[in-house]
Amino acid sequence: MSAVALPATLAEVLARGDIWRGDTLASLPTSAIPSGHAELDAELPGGGWPRGNLTEILIDRSGLGEMSLLLPALARLSAEGGWLALVAPPWLPHAPAWAAAGLALDRLVVVQAGKQAAWCCEQLLACGGFAGLLVWPEAGIGAQALRRLQVAAEGQATFTCLWRPLTQAAVPSPAPLRLTLATSENGLSVQILKRRGRPAARPLNLSLPRPGRSSRALAGPSLSLATARGPAAAAVA
Amino acid sequence: MLWLALHFPLLPLEALPLRQSPSAVVSRGRVLACDRQAAEAGVKSGQKLSTALGLQPGLAVFEREAVRENGALESLACWAGRFTPTLSLAPPNTLLLEIGGCLRLFGGVEPIVDAVLAGCAEQCYSPTWAVAPTALGGRWLAQAGAGAIYREPAAMQAALAGLPCAVPGWPAEAQSRLASFGLKHLGDLQALPAAGLRRRIGSEPVDDLLRARGELPDPQQPFVFPESFAIEIELPARVERAEALAFAGQRLFAALAGWLHGRQLLVRACTLQLKHDDGSLTALVLRFAEPAADEGRFLRLLREQLARLHLAAPVEVLRLLADEVENKPGASAHLFDAAPVGEGALACLERLRARLGEAAVQMLGEKADYRPECASVHRDAAADVAQPKPSPPPAAAMPPRRPLWLLPAPQSLAERAGQPHWHGPLKLLSRAERLESGWWDEGEAAAAGDVRRDYFVARNPQGQWAWVFRDAQGWYLHGLFS
Repeated sequence: MSAVALPATLAEVLARGDIWRGDTLASLPTSAIPSGHAELDAELPGGGWPRGNLTEILIDRSGLGEMSLLLPALARLSAEGGWLALVAPPWLPHAPAWAAAGLALDRLVVVQAGKQAAWCCEQLLACGGFAGLLVWPEAGIGAQALRRLQVAAEGQATFTCLWRPLTQAAVPSPAPLRLTLATSENGLSVQILKRRGRPAARPLNLSLPRPGRSSRALAGPSLSLATARGPAAAAVA
Repeated sequence: MLWLALHFPLLPLEALPLRQSPSAVVSRGRVLACDRQAAEAGVKSGQKLSTALGLQPGLAVFEREAVRENGALESLACWAGRFTPTLSLAPPNTLLLEIGGCLRLFGGVEPIVDAVLAGCAEQCYSPTWAVAPTALGGRWLAQAGAGAIYREPAAMQAALAGLPCAVPGWPAEAQSRLASFGLKHLGDLQALPAAGLRRRIGSEPVDDLLRARGELPDPQQPFVFPESFAIEIELPARVERAEALAFAGQRLFAALAGWLHGRQLLVRACTLQLKHDDGSLTALVLRFAEPAADEGRFLRLLREQLARLHLAAPVEVLRLLADEVENKPGASAHLFDAAPVGEGALACLERLRARLGEAAVQMLGEKADYRPECASVHRDAAADVAQPKPSPPPAAAMPPRRPLWLLPAPQSLAERAGQPHWHGPLKLLSRAERLESGWWDEGEAAAAGDVRRDYFVARNPQGQWAWVFRDAQGWYLHGLFS
C-alpha cells in the first residue's frame, strides 16, 4: 500500500508559479519584454510585454501612436536577431521608417493573409521561429478563433499582439492582457482593461516621441543662426 | 562489421503503393505473393490463379514486374542512406546495411533497428530482419525470420546451425542430395568432413556455408548512390484525388532524404512530375527557403502543394527529380544546446507561401528612392535570406521622420479655407519638405512618374498623426505616423 500524499500546506500552494493572489500582479513564468516605458512596465504583470500569451490592443482609429508604443520592444527583439511578422496589416509598411526605428528588414515578414489570418498565426506560432507577431485580425474574428490563437501562443517564446477595434472592449476575450489606447494632450493614454492581477485603476499617460513640432524647433532658421554665431561671437570677445 | 539484413518477402506486392486490398501478384499463372487479407481467405503463394480467385473473388491481381521490384529496392537503399553510407543490395528482395560503423551516432544497435523498422512501416514495407556479423549469415537469418540481434560470431553460428538445409539459391540437386542423406539442419552439415561434402554437393554450397559462418571472407558489392536523383513510382491504379498522391509521394521523398544524407547534399528545389493517363505531364516544383534534407519538411510542403492542386486527369506515374542540390556545409553539433522546438521561421514561411501564394508572404526591403511609394520593395522570402547580410549603415543623423504606414494610393483630401480636412481640419506641424523626383520613369506604365510634392506632418482633432502633401492638384493624405 503506497503512502497517502500529505495535504500541502498553504504556503507551498501559494509558492506555486501558477497561483497568483488577487492583490498582487502575477509574475509570468515566461520572460517578459521591457516595453521601453517605465510607467507601463510597472503596471504590466512580469514587468513588460508578455511572451507566450496573447496581448490585445483595442483602438478606435489608427495614427494615435499605437505602433510607437510597441517599437522599443520590437526593436529590442529585432536586435536580438528575432524574426518579426506583420499578419494582414491594413496599410503598406513604409520600409525606411521601419528601418529607422531599428528593425532589421531582412527579418521582418509581411503576410497578406486575408481570411486565413488565424491559420497563418497558428503556423507562425507553432514553428517556434518568430520572436514577435503583430496581427490585424478581421473584424468578425470569433471567440473560438481567439481561443485557438491563445492556445497556440501558450508556451511559445513569441510576443503576440492583436489589434482590435474598441467596440470589442465589452466582449470577453481569452487574451490575458488587454489594453485600450486613446489620444491625450501630450501623448497616449493607456488603460489596462484586463491583466493578471488586481484591476488597474487609472489610465496611464505616456509621452511618446512624435514627429513634427520638435523637428521644426531644431531645424528652424533662427536657432541654427544662433548656434552658428555663438562660437564666432565668443572668439571676437 | 555488423550487418542489418532486411528481407522483404512481399516486395513484389509492396512495390505497388496505393493498391487496394485484397491483392496478389502472380507470375506465370501462379500466386507469388499476397497481402494479409488475401492470406486470411486461404490464398497462398504457389497457388494457381484460378484457385486463388475462387477463394477470394474480389482479389486484385497484378502481374509481377521485376523492374518495378528493382526500382523499389533501389529507392529503399537510397532511403537507408540516412542510417549508414555502407549498404549493399542482395537482389531480388534483400537489403544489407552495415551498421557497425554508426552505432555510436544512434546510440546502439537497438535504436538503429527500431528506427529502420519504423521507417519501413511508415512506407508500408514489412521486412523480416536479423543483425549478424557476416552479410550472408544475416541474410539467411533474416530470410528465416529471425528478428534478432547476434553480435558475436558464436551466437550467430549457433543460430545458423538451427536453420533448415533448404537454403534458397542452392542448386536443387544439392538440396535433394542433402535430403536423401537425412541432413535437415545446417548444423548437421558442419559435423561432416568438408572434402567429402564438396565432392557430393559441389563447392558452392560449402563455400556459402563457410562465408555465412565467417570462416571465409565475403566482400560485398557496395551500393553506389546515384549521381543524380530521379526515381519514379508507377501507381497500380489511376489516382484521381491529389491528396491521395501524398502517400505515394512519401516513399519518393523518404528516398530523396536518404540519398541526400548518403551523398552529404542539401536540396534547394525539386520537381515532382505527375504523369497523367492521357500522357500529359504536370510538374510540381517544390522550392525551399533554405537548402534542406529533412523528409518531414518535404512532406509538409508537398501536402500544401497537393491541397491546392486540381488534377486535370488521373495520375499513373510519379517521378521525383532533385533539380538543385548543393554540398552540405560541415557543422559541428552543439554540446549542450537543446534542439530548437518547431521547424523554424524559414520552413514555416515556405509552407505559408505554398498555401497563400508567392506574393502573399514577403519580406520588406528598402530602396534608395525619394518617392515614398517607391522606397519599399517586397523581397522574395526564399531568396538570399540564408546568408544574413550585414545591415546597412545607419542613415545620416536626424533623418526626416517618415511614417510607418503608407496608403496604397494617396487619398484626395477636401480643402476648406486653404486648410486640408481629414476627419476635421488638419493642423500642419512641420515645415514643408519638398520631394521632387522621378523624371526618369515619367510616362512609363505602372511607374510613379515625376512627382513634385510638399509633404507636411499634420494632426487632426481626433489626435491622428498624418503625412499629407500638397501638389498642383491639391491636398492628399499619403501616410500615417502610428
